[in-house]
Amino acid sequence: MDWLQICAEGQTDGCVSPIQVAYLVAVLVGAVLVVYAGRRSRDFSTATLTLIPVAIAINIAVGSIAVALRLPIYLDSIGTVLVGVLAGPWAGALTGLLSNLIWSLLPVPGGAGPVAAFFAPVAGVIGLMAGFWGSRGVFRLRAEDARVGGFLALATGIATSIVALLIVQATVGISFTFEDVDSQNRFVLLGVVIVTVGVAAAWITGRTIYRLEGMPDRARTYLVAAATISATALTFALVRLLFGPTGYFSGIDGVADDGSADSFLGGANLTGLALEDPAGLIGAAVVGIAVGVLVYLWTRRGDNARLFPVWVGGLTTGLIAATISAPIAAGVFGGVTGGGTDALVALFRTLGLNVFQSAFAQGLTSDPLDKTISYTVVFVILGALPLTMRTMYSRGESTVAD
Amino acid sequence: MTETTTRGIAPIAALRLAGLSVRYPGQRSPSLDSVDLEVQAGELVGVSGRTGAGKSTLALAAGGFLPRVVRATVTGSAAVGGIDATSLDPRALLGHVGIVFATPANQLSASKQTVREELAFGLENLGVDRADMDGRISTVLVRLGIANLADREPLTLSGGEQQRVAIASIVVMGTSLLVLDEPTAQLDPVGAADVGALLAELARGGTAVLVVEHDPTILGQTSRMVLLESAKAVGSGEPGYVLGSRVAGLYGLPAPTLVRLAELAEMDPALAFDEAAIVANLSSHGPRLAPGAEPSLSIGAWEAARDRPVPVAQVQELAHRYPNGVEALRGVSLRFAPGEAAVILGQNGSGKTTLAKHLNGLLRPDRGDVQFDGVSTRNLRVDELSATVGFVFQNPDDQLFERTVEREVSFGPRNLGWNAATVRQLVERALDAVGLSAVGGTNPYDLDLSRRKLVSLASVLAMNPSILVLDEPTTGQDPVGTERVGAVVRGMRDAGRTVIAITHNMEFAAAHFDRVILMREGIVIADGPPSELLSAPNQALLASTGLTPPPAARIASALGLTLVPRTAAGLIEALTARR
Amino acid sequence: MSATSGYFVVGTSWLHHRHPLTKLLGLGFVLLATFLLPSITLVLLVIALAGIAASAGLAARLARAMRIPAVLLASILVVNAFFYPGATDRLLELGPLAVSREGLTFGTISAGRVLVAFIASVLFLFTTLADDLLEALVARGASHRIAFVILSAVQLVPRMQLRAASILDAQQARGLAIEGSFGRRIRALVPLIGPVLLGSLIDVRERTFALEARGFGARPGRTAYRQVVDPPSDRWLRPVLVLGCIAVIVAAVTGLGRG
Repeated sequence: MDWLQICAEGQTDGCVSPIQVAYLVAVLVGAVLVVYAGRRSRDFSTATLTLIPVAIAINIAVGSIAVALRLPIYLDSIGTVLVGVLAGPWAGALTGLLSNLIWSLLPVPGGAGPVAAFFAPVAGVIGLMAGFWGSRGVFRLRAEDARVGGFLALATGIATSIVALLIVQATVGISFTFEDVDSQNRFVLLGVVIVTVGVAAAWITGRTIYRLEGMPDRARTYLVAAATISATALTFALVRLLFGPTGYFSGIDGVADDGSADSFLGGANLTGLALEDPAGLIGAAVVGIAVGVLVYLWTRRGDNARLFPVWVGGLTTGLIAATISAPIAAGVFGGVTGGGTDALVALFRTLGLNVFQSAFAQGLTSDPLDKTISYTVVFVILGALPLTMRTMYSRGESTVAD
Repeated sequence: MTETTTRGIAPIAALRLAGLSVRYPGQRSPSLDSVDLEVQAGELVGVSGRTGAGKSTLALAAGGFLPRVVRATVTGSAAVGGIDATSLDPRALLGHVGIVFATPANQLSASKQTVREELAFGLENLGVDRADMDGRISTVLVRLGIANLADREPLTLSGGEQQRVAIASIVVMGTSLLVLDEPTAQLDPVGAADVGALLAELARGGTAVLVVEHDPTILGQTSRMVLLESAKAVGSGEPGYVLGSRVAGLYGLPAPTLVRLAELAEMDPALAFDEAAIVANLSSHGPRLAPGAEPSLSIGAWEAARDRPVPVAQVQELAHRYPNGVEALRGVSLRFAPGEAAVILGQNGSGKTTLAKHLNGLLRPDRGDVQFDGVSTRNLRVDELSATVGFVFQNPDDQLFERTVEREVSFGPRNLGWNAATVRQLVERALDAVGLSAVGGTNPYDLDLSRRKLVSLASVLAMNPSILVLDEPTTGQDPVGTERVGAVVRGMRDAGRTVIAITHNMEFAAAHFDRVILMREGIVIADGPPSELLSAPNQALLASTGLTPPPAARIASALGLTLVPRTAAGLIEALTARR
Repeated sequence: MSATSGYFVVGTSWLHHRHPLTKLLGLGFVLLATFLLPSITLVLLVIALAGIAASAGLAARLARAMRIPAVLLASILVVNAFFYPGATDRLLELGPLAVSREGLTFGTISAGRVLVAFIASVLFLFTTLADDLLEALVARGASHRIAFVILSAVQLVPRMQLRAASILDAQQARGLAIEGSFGRRIRALVPLIGPVLLGSLIDVRERTFALEARGFGARPGRTAYRQVVDPPSDRWLRPVLVLGCIAVIVAAVTGLGRG
């Protein structure tokens, strides 16, 4: 069964490249999504089936507004998110899938034509996640309710996983090489451990701290605290990642891996930016705390705390969208998407990332921002959803505020 | 069998509502309160009333949508052809009743390429044999006069044509009851008249038709109608009677011109919509009853604050061609002095909307210029011009997005950068002018279309414009709302501001405006006061643009009056004076 | 190309006469061959597709349609030629940038795949009406409700675009500035997108009622008005294409498909 062997870097014969495997997985996931969404659609009410084509049309038309405002984002999932919130994850998934399909059927300039349909699974997953987050209550505007507890538990789980990942990376290192099978095994093991830690943290906090029934005012306090802590932690981690003694800049010493002069920035030596401890540690902590204080002050004002769940939802959706579109871009389109962000892909290539990694990095820079803004826009607009609409959709009352 | 029926076993009514009460979840008061109504096959019955009276709820109940599609608590009974209309089974009423709503494009499935296939849609869902479909479709196409549209794409048809296709799609299913909820609200007079004639013809053919409407021309064709007020049925009988001062008038609804005249001439209500009879009666006898107090709406004229200098608006040799090659304006020159109230009339495609959109920079001229006090608007952006020119769009749903009416109305003044106190004052004044002060905290989309249009008007008034442009302010508006808009126009004019309106509504144009501009194919063909343009010598000119003068003017001409009255009141005055 | 019929070209070629499902299978076969078989097949496929286009009288339209993926194809070539990671064999130096052979090869193959996929898809769309394709699928068990959703969405797109343009006008007329600082432009998103969403929901309500009134919600038992012609030749062509697809997959998996 040597056809299942994944290629090592540079190897081209007698194996299947990881990109092709990733692509195959994406295709299978997409196919499963489509079939399942199709099955679930038998139960959709007429109201849902009328909403979906309108939402698809919204997806395509809102893009022109983003262009008129000259914003660097597509905003092509607004309709998908709307359906996910009002009619559930599977209706949202169907909306995303069909939007993409229909976009490819229409001779809209700026698209890639019919081949844009390859990204349909990404759009489907966006709808799925919007429905998921909707049922977690991230779009509720004013009502303080216990379901925020569920969201907070999830957020805690995710945060714990990220922290665990960073700790592992900083101590034993989590990367693997294609030649060393042991390193691959260790990667998988550590990955499982990290995910387990995250799930445990989510479950425990959900059961204990965040139950919140009968304590509506506490929900807001918790949100403010969660926003502050996550902002502090993320900033700290990011600074350490870039400027730490073993951080990113420590590796840019003007010399490429094979000993010749590096082409990045004309062979500059940036190791000076990698600050030594304890000064570096204190510096990162200070920056982290400063950002945390700013976030704290901002979330305390008015209803701003409510944006935190919305942004967590948007960011995670964007991250997963980027993760799924990377193998498609890499496997089908040679790593690019035909849009303006391809310049970014070129940049990432020069930084030493391979085809898959640079496609992923490009997705990371645009998708989370795009989806977070989309979520925020839908969140604000749904605050004005009239009563008559909420009674048409069974989820309308539970996912959107009163 | 004949003997049995003549002996008095009543035929099953196409629609029978008995003690029907409907309450929506979360509402304190019922939307319908113990309403009784019966419609037999071959009858055309009307329902009217003010906004919020319960008309739409009645239509939904008759169509079998409550509580199956829209959740509501329903007591009493509703039956279509003997079948329970409150059943939860989606197949129960299929093919027995159908509803048509106000927005034509929303009635189409938007999934079929031709009108023929659109008609087949309902038959497909009914499971009709393919072999039988063509015959049924052809019959209905001919019967409704749309055979020439059979292969056209439904979404490319005009509003009136789309409504006829919508009605046809229901009729082809063999429904015995047709319910319509304000079917002509979005249509121009020609389209509305078409639909009215169609409904009468369908009733004659044996269908039971229930139509909820404001438009007197439609209601005038019904054999019987019901007036709803605050969820109750408060009057029923002939339209000439129900719409008159003895029923509708009690609730503050102005009677249509013809009905008013028929009353004053003490005519039989059955003839209240027969123009020829009214003319004959009035010319021989004159009005029999003294007019008495006008049952006017309690709307005070709204005084706009006189605190802005109003520029002279000048349009010079304006020409505009659309990207698709259509020459919408071919050289138009007009001058609007401060304090003028002008109305632009013309058919679709005459260029009136194109002209109006040049006034606030939405469209830029290919040739010619638009100037305010001599200063060209060429280099000013739309949002910059919005401080001077307030443009009220036809579709309020293109503008509304805020949580409450108050916030919505404050959007415009906030954009103009005024401080909170000024904004609050302007919002208050604007809401007062349109009579919506009581619903400041409601979500605009929870209001019906006529009130949403008033919100849209208020949001522009709150920007304190010097020049107010109104695009079809009366489409979709109920009579009370139309009066409010008229009061606003008068108030603005009296305060020295300029008002320019585009409309199809001849009565509205004649009643509130001092200057009528007639357009056809991109040029102005007449420009003068309504008394001149609506008089007999100009009838041919008016007809060439597809318009007819309002009823008061028509009757005045038929009676040989030299001075053309602008309103029914004016006509009555003239007739009383003549006596 | 109108918005409602997309790429469809009115015609009577042999390709037009084929049953939609036959063409769909053909498209699937070409896509599988493109992505699973060695790159030499790309050349064969391009030639074959060009021949098919010519024989159906669609060559000129195909050439004109090539401008749609032009930017994407160029991007694939350029980015990969100049920026291929781990490249060692430099062919051409342009200052700090260099074209590598590995990059050029990878780029050409990727672009070639996209090109073939595009040509095949567009030929399919030139000769197949969405309505026919969906009716054919529904006849074989696909959900007619999903088919409705697709067809309806296609027809609603141009209306929604017009509506977005109206809203842009209407809100500017209320003083909303669409130029200016980044913050101001972001804040303009809600007043512009809000009416699109909320106004559309009002429409959705009415459209739901209208569809219910015409029996859309009723359970199975639907008959079809639109009839799609199934030429006799297609009855054996389809199984052949299915076998072809299977053959391609097998070949790719067992050893003929490397590189």
